[in-house]
Amino acid sequence: MVDTAAVNRTDVYTDTSTSTSGKMAKTEPLISVRSVHKFFGTHEVLKGIDLEVYPQEVLVIIGPSGSGKSTLLRCLNLLETYQKGEIIVDGKRLSDPKIQEDEVRRELGMVFQQFNLFPHMTVLENLILAPIKVRKKSREEAIKDARLLLQKVGLSDKEGAYPDALSGGQQQRVAIARALAMRPKAMLFDEPTSALDPEMVKEVLDVMKDLAREGMTMVVVTHEMGFAREVGDRVIFMDQGEIVEQGTPQDVFGQPKNERTKAFLSKVL
Amino acid sequence: MSFVEQINQGLSWLDLRVDIIWDYRDLFIRGIYYTIILSMSGVGIGLVLGLFAGMAKLARSLWIRWPAIAYIEFFRGTPLFVQIMLLHFAVLPTLLGRSPSPVISGIIALALNSGAYISEIFRAGIQSIARGQMEAARSLGLSHGMAMRYIILPQAFRRMIPPLGNELIVVLKDSSLLSAIAAPELANAARITMGATSRPWEPYMTIAVIYLVITLILASLVSRLERKLDYGRHSRS
Ligand SMILES: Nc1ncnc2c1ncn2[C@@H]1O[C@H](COP(=O)(O)OP(=O)(O)OP(=O)(O)O)[C@@H](O)[C@H]1O
Ligand SMILES: [Mg+2]
Repeated sequence: MVDTAAVNRTDVYTDTSTSTSGKMAKTEPLISVRSVHKFFGTHEVLKGIDLEVYPQEVLVIIGPSGSGKSTLLRCLNLLETYQKGEIIVDGKRLSDPKIQEDEVRRELGMVFQQFNLFPHMTVLENLILAPIKVRKKSREEAIKDARLLLQKVGLSDKEGAYPDALSGGQQQRVAIARALAMRPKAMLFDEPTSALDPEMVKEVLDVMKDLAREGMTMVVVTHEMGFAREVGDRVIFMDQGEIVEQGTPQDVFGQPKNERTKAFLSKVL
Repeated sequence: MSFVEQINQGLSWLDLRVDIIWDYRDLFIRGIYYTIILSMSGVGIGLVLGLFAGMAKLARSLWIRWPAIAYIEFFRGTPLFVQIMLLHFAVLPTLLGRSPSPVISGIIALALNSGAYISEIFRAGIQSIARGQMEAARSLGLSHGMAMRYIILPQAFRRMIPPLGNELIVVLKDSSLLSAIAAPELANAARITMGATSRPWEPYMTIAVIYLVITLILASLVSRLERKLDYGRHSRS
């Protein structure tokens, strides 16, 4: 089941394939989700989701509260389990009982609505912990890398600060840098600006735009329609556990086909 | 006996004789030493027991959880006095094949008892750390154990310092029950002194003051430690 947008992406990226196994002539999706069903008890939260994310693509997921956006995102890095269907991340089938959860997760950076920085560590320590413990980098190398990332998110002067001394926008930028420090193959964002004061939204979105421009593969759940339009390669509209509509931002925002999409967009735009 | 004479006699009770304590000073000094040794080692071992029991109680597997729950409930649900007697006169002699020294029995009893309470402190401390911290750590690829060690426990520890300090003070006072098995601690010194002199006021007032001084010192050490470990909370919250 490949949708047209995905086919287009495949064509676009045919010659940029950097597969390590070398067996692929065409770019394969980095993440594929195949008719995934997820239940909380008897409540079906995901009702057969199909979805592909291609390398360097920015996929934006929009939809009303409770539609299952976070749950879908959390299934991708095994923070939630699913009951039916299959998710394949970087060639690994997540339903495989022998799956090494940590190996999947280290390839997917995740940014949370509530930042979730480690409050007992300085900004720099937040950034170097996982590269040292998981990637087995040397401390010097990790620090060098972390400083470059802090520079990139505009927080070089904050490396010694504790998270509680930073504004929300600064904390979220640190959280993005922390995820990037693992050199993930893709980044997952779950409403990264929803907990921010309005004046801080832009600084975080700007960092995300830079990332997109550099070719980072991104899955972004957001209510920032401006960002979706400007940065998204593809937009997915979810409602009640289903993908109702998807396409380019121009199509979804310009001429939505589904009534539910129209109703949602008329409320948020 | 006239009313006045009766009052006189009553007041003569308060005619404290400091020289009694002086005569038995070695007993009390040894008592201070053992009271501190017994409670510190008890809580020290209790910390390890409590960490394991607390984590076991949070485990998913019933086979790990159940023994932890049984241990915790038994030692919190029965009197320490009974636990001391059982250990010293029944359990340890059976296991060792001889009478254990009161000091050893005492440390084991205090360790097992405080371990049960400390496990609840650990569990509450761990659970008080927001779930988001664990998820953030796991999303970076850290294993559950690493996330516990580097993210959850250091934060939980800070929150556990006040209740742990409180537990140390409780154990210090409860160690007086070990006089029942003649462990050479403070209450035992008072008991022996009273037996030899038939004077209850001096020895028991003396150890009351000593206990009070030690617990006040401990309380101030704990609150100093707590302030020292308070990270980055000064500028914003
Ligand atoms: N741990 C959970 N246990 C039970 N139900 C849950 C749990 N997490 C989410 N749900 C339910 O699953 C549904 C989808 O939740 P989800 O958080 O994925 O929605 P969302 O699209 O991210 O919404 P929002 O925009 O509010 O973040 C909701 O009905 C929610 O109540
Ligand atoms: Mg959500």
